[in-house]
Amino acid sequence: MKHLYFAPVCALTIAIVLLSSVNAMGQAKAYTPPKTADGVPDLQGIWSMLTNVPLERPANLGAKEFYTPEELAAQAQRAAAGGRAAAPTQPGTTADVHYDLSQFGLDRGHATVASSNRTSLIVGPEGKVPPLLAEAQKRQQERAAFQREHQWDGPETRPLTERCILWASEGPPMLAPGYNSNLQIVQGPGYVGIMQEMIHDVRIIPTDGRAHLPQGVRQWFGDSRGHWEGNTLVVDTTNFTDRTAFRGSTEKLHVIERFTRTGEETIKYEFTVEDPSAWAKPWSAEINWAKTTGPIFEYACQEANYGMANNLSGARATEKKAAEAANKASQEQQ
Amino acid sequence: MNAKLGTTFMSLALLLIAVPVWAHHAFSAEYDASKPLTLKGKVTKWELVNPHSWIHIDVVGPDGKVTPWMVEGGSPNSLLRNGFTKNSLPAGTEILVEGYQAKDGANRAVGKDITYPDGKRLFLGGSAPGAGGGENP
Amino acid sequence: MQIGFKSWMLLAATVAAGLLFTRIPSKAQGGAAAQAQTYRAPRTADGKPNLNGIWQALNEANWDLEAHAASQGPVLALGAQFSVPPGVGVVEGGAIPYKPEALAKKKENFANRTKEDPEVKCYMGGVPRSTYMPYPFQIIQGTGTIMMAYEYAGGVRIINMGKPTEAPVDSWMGWSNGRWEGDTLVIDVTGLNDQTWFDRAGNYHSDALHVVERYTPRSADTLMYEATIEDPNVFTRSWKISMPLYRRVEKNAQILEYKCPEFAEDMLYGHLRKQPSK
Repeated sequence: MKHLYFAPVCALTIAIVLLSSVNAMGQAKAYTPPKTADGVPDLQGIWSMLTNVPLERPANLGAKEFYTPEELAAQAQRAAAGGRAAAPTQPGTTADVHYDLSQFGLDRGHATVASSNRTSLIVGPEGKVPPLLAEAQKRQQERAAFQREHQWDGPETRPLTERCILWASEGPPMLAPGYNSNLQIVQGPGYVGIMQEMIHDVRIIPTDGRAHLPQGVRQWFGDSRGHWEGNTLVVDTTNFTDRTAFRGSTEKLHVIERFTRTGEETIKYEFTVEDPSAWAKPWSAEINWAKTTGPIFEYACQEANYGMANNLSGARATEKKAAEAANKASQEQQ
Repeated sequence: MNAKLGTTFMSLALLLIAVPVWAHHAFSAEYDASKPLTLKGKVTKWELVNPHSWIHIDVVGPDGKVTPWMVEGGSPNSLLRNGFTKNSLPAGTEILVEGYQAKDGANRAVGKDITYPDGKRLFLGGSAPGAGGGENP
Repeated sequence: MQIGFKSWMLLAATVAAGLLFTRIPSKAQGGAAAQAQTYRAPRTADGKPNLNGIWQALNEANWDLEAHAASQGPVLALGAQFSVPPGVGVVEGGAIPYKPEALAKKKENFANRTKEDPEVKCYMGGVPRSTYMPYPFQIIQGTGTIMMAYEYAGGVRIINMGKPTEAPVDSWMGWSNGRWEGDTLVIDVTGLNDQTWFDRAGNYHSDALHVVERYTPRSADTLMYEATIEDPNVFTRSWKISMPLYRRVEKNAQILEYKCPEFAEDMLYGHLRKQPSK
């Protein structure tokens, strides 16, 4: 039975929740994707990675991997009725020092989100990222401690996102950044090109069976090699740097992704990550992508990165002010 | 074919409290929470750039002196997808900015809320129930 | 059989007459262009000329589009290693037709090039500079869309091969509408911002820049690239550059990651670093 819910929204969005009658994943009728002229499954188009499913399962759900159709309907009803809107921020607080996302269409109301009945993106009974191995945890803590002390020292100690080197969610594995969560896939003979909107990074994946780059060549995005298994594109990525640090990973990070077109408007994106120096065992996740209206506009980050200069300038001004106040205080004591 | 997964379009008043990590990012280093301000000025330039767009305005002081300010906003990519263009905020348009000033004292602010003099929101409206929908002027 | 003198004369006369009436391609049609007229590129599975692959220019255009002799580079400490190599130039007709006041601006750019050249700051190369920066780029022909991925700073262009659309905003890599004219890929590029340069010599443009590119297969492993440049704010007329592009034929040819923001951080933000406390 299908339920349709309409919610009052801003003029430029539509709130229609379509629920299928299928309860668990994998019980739907198989879909045969169209093929490109080269005869491989066609994944081309502009896709939204945004999902409402958290990476890790809420603790109270235990081993429950899927919501029932009734639970999903109830959630949708709550959302339509106003749900738990983001609490307004208090003036004068750090949280209030920000532009309004919805004013710029960067809120979820202006995005395309594929539906899913998962309780977490991570599959399996645990639904959580496995704990980091002791050594990796130690390294993580040391890095965090260093960051706290030195975070405003200079550009090198700023986050990768702020340095416009890459957006933290780009991976691989690729996760939605929260807004502009779009990517475009273009397929040519022997190659799949994936361009993520933030920050215009292109992954060029050869599917001709060639070997990976030599071990000594490390890249932020690693080095990807693809092949087709039936209707699924399987991509193997190695050669990460040790600064990529996906959830505490090291340069031994190994990512396997699977892309399957599950409908005219949907792709199922799965990934497995393993890193013998970070986790005792591999872990996997599954995310649904939805086709979205583009185009993807250029997200040139480095070129207008006023923020880096402004942040460092602000930090220097704060230090100067603190130093002057300290000087004044010590003079007054004399 | 019966795609088992439909596509969901959701309103902002949503299932999840989506407080993004970046909301607390270095803006707190760039702008001073203890220096709220309100600016009124005429647009001189609209920089549709990433990672943040910038509206440049000329603010006329009580003494008649004109001070240029730049106001930081969000990525323009979604605005562009919603039909806005570089011509959507012409020079000379008067706007009101409520926000916070830069920590280094420069004539720079982050615009928490930007409206026209009549109170109508610039660009897109909020999608909380009952909120007026903002439209491309 | 003996051939008499008369027969030889007759033969010679016939050959001479034949040569007289043989059509020899005129200079204007000779060389690469004539070869391009006779070469027909293989087709992709959907019947389009196949320009897929990894390509790279092999000239000194990124240093200076115009013909130039070798000269001292901008960083004395790097001596001859970073000196300016000589180039025969890629501008048809020789000189870029600047308006007089614009030429003064070009000279100012040149004088300030170590600070002002966007390449120094790891900014994307724009169009057409990205084509002839000395790094490879890859063409991936999809359905209705062509992706051009440039190694330098990860520049990328999506070429719309369907109905042309208008640019709502300016960008570094421009707004590209493409179409086929025979074997030639013609790309009309608008929506370019005024921030890029054409080369390291300070040759520049305004945001009125309009570029029309032509990629013509010349042989299995070469393309002829032509770009017509129009900018009424800066130049007295439109002008054209042309050059071959060579296929990177190595079996393991690959566009590698060239994320350069961190290499530009010192020159951009070094002055804002925390100074060690005294």
